Amino acid sequence: MSLSRRQESLRGLILPVAILLAWQVLAWRASTPLFPGPWQVTLSIWKFYPQIVGQIGYTLMRAASGFLVAAALMIPLGILLGRLKTVGAIVEPIMDMLATLPPPAVIPVVMLFAGTGDAAKISIIAYAAAVPLLMNTYEASKTLHPMANLVARSLRFSRLETMLRIDLPASLPMIATGLRLAVASALLVSVTAEMLLATNGIGVFIQRQQENFQIANGLAAIAFISIVGLIINNLVFQLEKRWLFWHYRSSDTHGNG
Amino acid sequence: MAMDVVLSAQGLTKTYGAGKDALQVLGGISFAVNRGEFVSVVGPSGCGKTTLLFAIAGLQGVTSGTVTFNGRPVTAPPKGVAVVFQDYSRSLFPWKNNRDNVAFGMARIQGLSAAQKRDKAQEMLDAVGLAGFADKYPWQLSGGMQQRVAIARGLASQSELLLLDEPLAAVDAQTRADMQDLLLDLAIRFKQTCVLVTHDVEEAVYMADRVVVLTRRPTVVDHEIVIELGKKRDQITTREDPRFLAARHDVMTSIRGQRAHAPASAA
Amino acid sequence: MDGFSAFALLLRFRALVSFLIIVAVWQLVAALGLAPEKYFPGIPAIVSGFLGMVANGELAAAEWRTLLRAMLGLAGASLLGVGLAILSDISPAFRRGFAPIAALIQPIPPAAVVPMAVFMLGLGPKLYAFIIILVTVWPPYFNGVAALASVSDIQIRSGQMLGLSRWQILRQIKLPAAMPEIFAGIRYASTISLIAVVVAEMLAGHDGLGFLLVRKAFAIRIPEVYALMFVCAANGLVLNAIVNAARWQLAGWHLRMTGQPA
Repeated sequence: MSLSRRQESLRGLILPVAILLAWQVLAWRASTPLFPGPWQVTLSIWKFYPQIVGQIGYTLMRAASGFLVAAALMIPLGILLGRLKTVGAIVEPIMDMLATLPPPAVIPVVMLFAGTGDAAKISIIAYAAAVPLLMNTYEASKTLHPMANLVARSLRFSRLETMLRIDLPASLPMIATGLRLAVASALLVSVTAEMLLATNGIGVFIQRQQENFQIANGLAAIAFISIVGLIINNLVFQLEKRWLFWHYRSSDTHGNG
Repeated sequence: MAMDVVLSAQGLTKTYGAGKDALQVLGGISFAVNRGEFVSVVGPSGCGKTTLLFAIAGLQGVTSGTVTFNGRPVTAPPKGVAVVFQDYSRSLFPWKNNRDNVAFGMARIQGLSAAQKRDKAQEMLDAVGLAGFADKYPWQLSGGMQQRVAIARGLASQSELLLLDEPLAAVDAQTRADMQDLLLDLAIRFKQTCVLVTHDVEEAVYMADRVVVLTRRPTVVDHEIVIELGKKRDQITTREDPRFLAARHDVMTSIRGQRAHAPASAA
Repeated sequence: MDGFSAFALLLRFRALVSFLIIVAVWQLVAALGLAPEKYFPGIPAIVSGFLGMVANGELAAAEWRTLLRAMLGLAGASLLGVGLAILSDISPAFRRGFAPIAALIQPIPPAAVVPMAVFMLGLGPKLYAFIIILVTVWPPYFNGVAALASVSDIQIRSGQMLGLSRWQILRQIKLPAAMPEIFAGIRYASTISLIAVVVAEMLAGHDGLGFLLVRKAFAIRIPEVYALMFVCAANGLVLNAIVNAARWQLAGWHLRMTGQPA
């Protein structure tokens, strides 16, 4: 138990290093461009990073636009539906049904309506991000503690004021969960949509590499996606920690654990 | 009367951290518990009662000193010691019903079939007055009833020593009085040796044959006092008994005195 | 009083009610010609498209493959995820080593992996197993690690006082205590596994619902496309029901404790 921190983090390195080594050895033994090792992937990253970064840029722009559209529409709608209990109760099963539909399955239909341009892709992304956002916001707003309502009434807030100043902040922790799911969903759908309705973006880049049997380049692109995803996840986490510290603080004292 | 020592603590010290941040909680605690005795250990808030209890139970090591149970040193949880924790809602297992929770207390008793364990568990639930609740789950019961399940589990393990870690601190006052009497009855009925750790002076005196009074940190035994009220106690007459009042006064003075010359900022 | 009970009845069957509302609104939009009929067929057209696919057997074949892939993938990913979580709980070195790997692989969308994986694994079951597990294993894993780490100290100590070994404490106390949270992860994983299958079939496939969806769309068989989307959503319900049944078996106490219906 009295391992120093250094020793412990060194031990933590054993597994990743072992996996990289095993992968490299397997790749050497296979010695085919269809099964590149980490070294070839590193070379590909070095050669292609300007191109990869450019293509990821297109992908992220579209993902961000779709995501923002969804957030702007769905968070207010979710809070409103949570307030209007009857309408919410009727709409809830519809949300549940939409939630079980894999977002990529919508791509063919949107393609028919909106073609294959940016507008089509952004609408698909917006749809994909909308479902988790709407569901989580609605759920949070619906299950709000009745105490909050009493406080609002004693302060003589109007309905709009109540929603803005009490419902919204109180729902934020669950909205944050929805946001994280929505980010993942938006990324997933942008890459899929690009591959089906291609013009540019990282999905197209990966597909080209596949068509040219350049597996190492494709893996290099995947490595970039993974790092971008990691950065975005961390960013969301940091924002959550800054803005929702009260939630974590109070669940520390009252939570079970 | 020949004394049969079940548990003995000799010079227990415990220091958390090292160097400048070192915090000495136990300063050399020694006391003993005899077979069949009900001993209360009482001390001011923050005096390391839980640390002491965990050391006796073998759940946590000490810095120096030894705990012996039946003459053997305690380094890990020994066979024959059961603990009833204060936090009943977390010490019971919500995925087991009450009978299975109690039967789980016999998990390591060999030579008992599953059916025998079930019967024994039912018997213990009867003893704590929960005969009809065997098939219910802990979370379907009130706090006081949950703690009775935990007590039944402790009794079912057929341990020579039952450690009670503030078992009644989280229940309401009325339930608390009932539970005190229940615990006393059970202790007599099963000839159970008990150590009750608490910060409640009244409870310590009311329950115990002997009270071990602790000082503030670094904690040592201030003094011990034998409560000569007989085994049978009564919520009304015992609490009015001059001997009870005298003992209560003695312990209270000692503990309040401890607090008085503690620095004002001490937690 | 009468109005009130009618309303209560409405709420009780609200799933049916809202389904009927969707159907009605859909049919109204189609009948009024608010959207081009070519892209927005009426309900009868969709139903007949659905029946047509049932009749010629293509729906059953595709549906069976997709659902089987999703179920097997989910089961494999759940077992693997929980296994990795247990390993992380036992060995801090493994946990530290695995955490960065998990953090890097977890954000990769399945679509990005499909083209590369086709080369290495072909178009058979290996491809689907790889893709589904790669994206589905994380919720059970992360939830498992968190839940095992946060099992109440007092529960573990109670186990120690009863003389249980480390392994018994893991099996009899920590795993049951962690089960509800693990199942929350598996439930989310079931959604992802379905997405992963459909994406993989769309991009790499030569069979399954995802493939059929794309083929029908390119052939402009619109009613069929909508019917297939409906089947996709129904699959989500099927997987959900399976996960719930397993959850009731393994963590039913928690559902009863929190008063959730089965």
